[in-house]
Amino acid sequence: MDELKVIVFKLATEEYGIEVDKVQTIERMMPITRVPKTLGFVKGVINLRGVVIPVIDLRGRFNLPSQEYNDQTRIIIVEVEKMQVGFIVDSANDVVDIKRSSIEKPPEVVGGVKARYLDGVAKLDEERLLVMLNLAEVLDKTEVVQLESIED
Amino acid sequence: MDMNQYLSMFIDESNDHLQSLNEKMLELESNPTDLGIVQVIFRSAHTLKGMAATMGFEDLAALTHQMENVLDLVRNEKLAMQEFIFDTLFKGLDALESMVQDITQGGEGKADVTAIVESLQAIVRGDIPAGGASAPAAASTPAAAPAAEIAVKDSKGIQLDEFQQSVIEQSMAEGHQALYMDVAIREDCQLKAVRAYMVFDLLERYGDVIKSEPSTQDIEQDKFERSFSLYYVTQKDPAELQPMVTSISEIESVNVTRLDAQSLKEMSAAPAAEPEAAPAPAQQTTTASAPAAAPAAAPKAAAAPKAAAKAPAPAPSRTIRVDIDRLDVLMNLFSELLIDRVRLEQLASEVKVPALTDTVEHMGRVSTDLQNIVLKLRMVPVDTVFNRFPRMVRDLAKSLDKKLDLVITGAETELDRTVIDEIGDPLVHLLRNSVDHGVEPVADRIAAGKEETGTVKLSAFHSGNHVFIEIEDDGRGINRENVLNKAIKNGIVTQDVANTMKDEEVYQLLFAPGFSTAEVISDVSGRGVGLDVVKSKITSLGGHVMVTSELGKGTKFSVQLPLTLSIISAMLIRVGSEKYAIPLTSIVETGIIKAKQVRDLHGSQLIPYRDTHIPLLSLSRVFEVPDFDEREEEETEIVVIRKGDKLAAIAVENFIGQNEIVLKSLGSYLPETRGISGATILGDGQVALIIDPNAFIK
Repeated sequence: MDELKVIVFKLATEEYGIEVDKVQTIERMMPITRVPKTLGFVKGVINLRGVVIPVIDLRGRFNLPSQEYNDQTRIIIVEVEKMQVGFIVDSANDVVDIKRSSIEKPPEVVGGVKARYLDGVAKLDEERLLVMLNLAEVLDKTEVVQLESIED
Repeated sequence: MDMNQYLSMFIDESNDHLQSLNEKMLELESNPTDLGIVQVIFRSAHTLKGMAATMGFEDLAALTHQMENVLDLVRNEKLAMQEFIFDTLFKGLDALESMVQDITQGGEGKADVTAIVESLQAIVRGDIPAGGASAPAAASTPAAAPAAEIAVKDSKGIQLDEFQQSVIEQSMAEGHQALYMDVAIREDCQLKAVRAYMVFDLLERYGDVIKSEPSTQDIEQDKFERSFSLYYVTQKDPAELQPMVTSISEIESVNVTRLDAQSLKEMSAAPAAEPEAAPAPAQQTTTASAPAAAPAAAPKAAAAPKAAAKAPAPAPSRTIRVDIDRLDVLMNLFSELLIDRVRLEQLASEVKVPALTDTVEHMGRVSTDLQNIVLKLRMVPVDTVFNRFPRMVRDLAKSLDKKLDLVITGAETELDRTVIDEIGDPLVHLLRNSVDHGVEPVADRIAAGKEETGTVKLSAFHSGNHVFIEIEDDGRGINRENVLNKAIKNGIVTQDVANTMKDEEVYQLLFAPGFSTAEVISDVSGRGVGLDVVKSKITSLGGHVMVTSELGKGTKFSVQLPLTLSIISAMLIRVGSEKYAIPLTSIVETGIIKAKQVRDLHGSQLIPYRDTHIPLLSLSRVFEVPDFDEREEEETEIVVIRKGDKLAAIAVENFIGQNEIVLKSLGSYLPETRGISGATILGDGQVALIIDPNAFIK
């Protein structure tokens, strides 16, 4: 398969993509229960049809300036290696097909996000760039936990 | 042919057969002359062999075949059971088990079993190493004698209920004849059910069949081996009847016994009675179909004890196997329903439409029943864990050269599957401990004036919302001084503390990490992993272990476990805008204290409670709750919690109430948070975190 179906969401200035088969559902903002004494960017847990799922503020995860949630805010529930996690993003409203061959190696930093969290950059048209997320790296906590413990 | 779809069935059934083989072998070991048990074993082995061969597991089939050869000799009385044979057969069983285990894990089920096969073949050749005193081949008695005896034994197999008995008695009073018949069908018969039907058809023409074993229904559905027995009331002469039945084709033998009032009573009430005590049947005539009388009697005898052995066994409950995942899905769906129900109740109480309120109330009742059933579905009898212990204890006792009986009670007690899955290892550990350290060697027992054979009691029972599992031995008990000396030597306690400790506290030292009291390290227990592992496992399941002991008399380990890990009773509390649940099991009481009662001591706060002071913990500070601080309040609601015998109070804003909550995990992404054991979903759909009170008390 050369074509790739991708969910497009917005975070600050950039548009990002996650492969559609890793996305379980996209939800509007809902009440989040805070979990005390946990990682800073973990907003808490939500009840998604009977399953308790932790949600991450993706801006916080990438150390981008935070922003008030509004009616555009969405929670994208992804599932990676049986682990379900919700990402809070500014908005999500598009599904596109891109060619695998059009994905290029990402530059060092895109829109403030380090290259290690990225799989590549795909050009949608002349003006639109789509940044593909590397979910495994985004969900990898070892680096974060180490950082936080140093801060302690 | 692709066998994959049958694989899981094969594994399940093999495990069942192996378990029953193990049990029956143990039974046979304590009663080596009971050929009825040998029959059951033989049949299990035979079925296992057939299944393994069909599935293409050659090694499994080959080993089973060799074991079957030995068993065949035993059941035909050409070989007497003895220790060496038992040991070899047990070894064979172990090998079979590990092969099935291998298959379960996706392996080929191959293993090198040449040594065991050789021993088995040696046994078949009559080549038994020293210790096998009696010449095996000569041990057999003439075939006819046991056949007759077994037939009598068999005739005691069917039990009549009161009604059936009175029917027979009445018919006898009216001059009918009451007969007891054993009918065996030829082994090569293809349509057993049809032949059986013909027999019944014939009999019904001349009288009434009062009861048959197996039941008529089972016989019609072909659910019987080769023989069946029945009570029959007729006016015909048995001598006339017998040839009529025998003349039905493919009927191997018919055995008719005429009953009088006394033999009827004894037979129908008999299954527990000793075979020796069997009453001589009033009149017994045995004939066999055409070919030859003597050889035909032998296979008959082979089939008969099966029924005899079967009778005392409890009727198997009708069950189906369900994938565990499906049960989990059911549980999840149900908990969603539960949440919606609470929501619906709230809405209905707001709308106040009688019809709606009624419906919601009814739905509430139904869902309560449903909850009970769903929870029950997940309950498994502890027997599934206990059933491997007799074998284990036997092997242990043997290797330690001790004599002991394992007495199991309450094996039918049910526990949640999640608890059952986890409890096996700790129990194995405690049992090993009792056998190794508790029960003394034979010489010591005699010296202490005790019986040679030690007893280890394993019992399970319900009490309130908990299940207790107790392991009690009549061994040497725990020596307080030894424990303390060891603990002091290992730096677990100091001499000063040791002097003031109560016995119970001393016993708890056994569970301290790095503690092992055995003077000699044996390969049974005391391999470095001590009872501390047991304790931490049980604690993680929400349970406790208690020890009581009397020097010279014995020791009792008592494990207390929660009934279920999926739905618990909890107190819901509010702190600022946040709601939390505290498991009811660790709450002692709730109360209110005034701000001026709180005393500061070295930075920690204490409150008076009963006649002592206990620490006051601030949930808002521990959990960094943004919108509440009890220090600004004049009065504070507190929840007093307990861990062991230590108490502490947690300050909260207010109580919401007591609720049954469904435990949910926080997901694998979040790192473990101290003080939080999980989450639950409240009636309004929001998530509330469950507090782990144990983390608050050090």
